[in-house]
This record gives sequence, C-alpha cells and structure tokens, in this order.
Amino acid sequence: MEDVQVVAMLVRRCIAGDAAAWEEIVQTYNRRIYNICYRFAGSGDDAQDLTQEVFIKMYRTLPSYDASKGAFVTWVTTITRNLLVDHFRKTKQDRMTDSMDSTSSDREDSQPLSEQIPDQSAPPDARVRSREVSEAVHQALSKISPELREAVILRDLQDMDYKEIAAVLRVPEGTVKSRINRGRAELARLLQRTYRQVM
Amino acid sequence: MPDHTNNGMQCNEFDLLLSDALDGVLGGPELDRFEAHARTCKSCGPLLAEAEAGRQWLKGLTEVEPPANLVNNILASTTGVDTQRLLARAPASQPRISWWEQIQASFLEPIWDLVRQPRFAMSFGMAFFALSVSLTVAGVKPADLAQISLRPSAIRRTYYNTQARIVRYVDNVRPVLEVQAALRTIKRNTNPAEPGRTKQIERKNDTTQQPEQKQERNYSQTGEQLILASVPLGPSNRDLPVVSVTTYRRFV
Repeated sequence: MEDVQVVAMLVRRCIAGDAAAWEEIVQTYNRRIYNICYRFAGSGDDAQDLTQEVFIKMYRTLPSYDASKGAFVTWVTTITRNLLVDHFRKTKQDRMTDSMDSTSSDREDSQPLSEQIPDQSAPPDARVRSREVSEAVHQALSKISPELREAVILRDLQDMDYKEIAAVLRVPEGTVKSRINRGRAELARLLQRTYRQVM
Repeated sequence: MPDHTNNGMQCNEFDLLLSDALDGVLGGPELDRFEAHARTCKSCGPLLAEAEAGRQWLKGLTEVEPPANLVNNILASTTGVDTQRLLARAPASQPRISWWEQIQASFLEPIWDLVRQPRFAMSFGMAFFALSVSLTVAGVKPADLAQISLRPSAIRRTYYNTQARIVRYVDNVRPVLEVQAALRTIKRNTNPAEPGRTKQIERKNDTTQQPEQKQERNYSQTGEQLILASVPLGPSNRDLPVVSVTTYRRFV
C-alpha cells in the first residue's frame, strides 16, 4: 500500500517543519481515517471530530514513529483505534452493543436489536449497493460489540491483513481471526432477521 | 464454541481455518476436512454460512466521502497547535523589563493619560484661579511665604501671637456688642404693640421681600408652619424680658 522509503522521507520532512509534507500526509490518510471513524462511531459528526483528533495526535507524536517497527499505515491505524476506544469508553456505549439479540436497555423497550432495524423488502445480493441497504448494514455494524466491530472494519472495510490487525489490536492472529468470524456471523444474523432471508 | 471432533477436525481448528477458507487460501486435503466438518457439525456449519453472509454484506459497504472541509479543518487545527507552541516560547525571547519601565507602564502612563484630558485641565485651572483669588483677598503674598520660618520655636511664637491678637479683637469688640444689645432691648420695650414688626425682624427669610401671606403658604406646602409665640406686654409687666419661641407644627 505504501512505499516505505517514500513515507519515511515524508515523515522526516514533516518533522523538520515542512508544511507541504504534512499536508501530503493529511491528504493521503484523511479518507481512510475518516472511514474507520465513521464505521466505528456510526455518526458523521463524531467521525469528523475524531479524525481531526487523530491528526492532531499524529502531528504531536510524529517524531515517535519508528519505521523499523512497522508500516506507517499500521501506526496511523493504531492511533486511530486507540482514540476510538477512548471515545467509546467516554460515550458509554457498552450497554448498547453487548449482544445483538439481548433484550436490552431501558430506552429501547426490551426489543431485540435485530428488530430495531427497519424491515426492508429488498433482497441483499443484487441491490446491496443501494443506499437503504448500506444504511441498514452500517446500522447493524454499530450494534455489534466494539471488539468484534473493530476487527471486522479493519479486515473487511480497510483490507488489512491479519498480521497488521494483530499489531494494531495487540492480540494474537488467532484471536483476530476468531473475532472477525464472530463479528461477521453476528452481523449476518442481525441482518438476516431483518430481511427474513438466508443467503 | 464446543470442542467436538468431526471428520478428524475439532471445532477450534475449524474456527481458525474459517477465515482462510473464506479468503480462498485454503486448499487440498485440509479444505476437504474443513468442508466435511462444516457439513456434519451442527454449530460450525451455520457459523460458516453466517460468516460468509456477513462478509458479503460488508463487501457491499462502499467508502464514504469525507466532508469537503475536513482537510482544511485538520490543517487549521494542526497549524493552531503549531502557533500555540510558538506563542508559548515567545515570552522567553523577549527582553527583560526594568523596574522603572514597569512603574511607568503600571502607574505613570495611566495618570498621564488622565491628565491629558481637557476636562482635567479645565478643573485644574479653575482650582488654581480660585486659590490665587482667595490668597489675594486674604492678603497673602507669595513673597511673604518665602520668609516664613518653619522652626518649631518660630511656629510656636506665631501661634501665640495669633491667639493674643484674636483675644484682643474680641475684648475690643465686646463693649460695642453690649451697647448694641442694650439699644435693641430699649427699642423693643418702647414699641411693644408692633408684633408684626418684631416678627418681621426675626424672620429668617427677610431678604426675600415676600409678603407674609405668601410665606405662610409656602410653609403649609411643606407641611410645616412657623408659629411665633411671645408674651404680651402689658403696663404691669413692662420690665419682663421678651421671650420668643419658634415651633414648627406639622399638619398631617
């Protein structure tokens, strides 16, 4: 994805005070970081704020980046993930995302999470790109537990390999794979109940 | 996940291979064992189907477009961080300010700003004019002030001299005042039937030249009325002193 030497040079220029180098880093990675934040936080406004926070943190800690320890994109994703976890702890979403089908919380009238997604009649295969379906998947993604969600996002939406994900999440590769499988399965169960159809 | 063994594969092993199988990197006899386990295991079979379905759903999610102003906001916020750093360092590089400059900045300059105002200049001019007029009327000359001795003995002597002069003045004036008082008494005794005149003399607002009726109306307007009382003088008590009592009666 990235040429290690080019990125290392870019980082060095940036540390030396080259504003153009910093702008290039922002231009290169803002889309990726915004998408991770958006899929994890579930809200565009939160994603925008979090993306800015990620870049501020990056700007402050850029001299601590060591190219020999890993790729720059892994370092950036680790910063993003840590900030998202902090944000998640602050916003206290644990109760909402413990389990997909658990009867829950006080404000959701003991309705299973799978039934909170609006029922839609469109089949998922051919029209999965439609806006409504995307919104339903996005909403379902925000309902699964954060541990599974982050693994699924990094694998299926950011195309990171298991080793990189393990480095970002600081867990073994086997755990990463297991989380990805369980995350996918929970998401499918949630959406299958919504659409009343087994793929 | 239960740890069952079906077709030579445990469920834990199936779970580990599931991702590889979905990625299409599993092959050969391992893939056969994997598929056989999925067909026979009641928990792993559905898991495979659900994981595959979830993967397909997620494939349908496309990247969202970041807001147009995101990059500008990021650059502005990080540039702001830089500016704050520079501002934090700035005071250290400034030259040190001496105590005189500090006094000038904190006290003298505000006072000078006040003095420069036209209103203050006008007030000061009026005060100086009033003082000079007062000194001229009192007979004080600036040249005399220079000759004043400020020694303690000289100040004491000046004090006693001034006191003696005042006592002498009062002693000289006293016979004149006594004669004036006697004449006034005699004049009253000789004209007892003119209370209006007496009243007129003792009126405080004598200089207003207002008629008596008008004066009473003014007092009644303020809720107070001046009542003058005096002992009527007949032929038998002609030598009694005249006592005038002034009371203010309030009409509610």
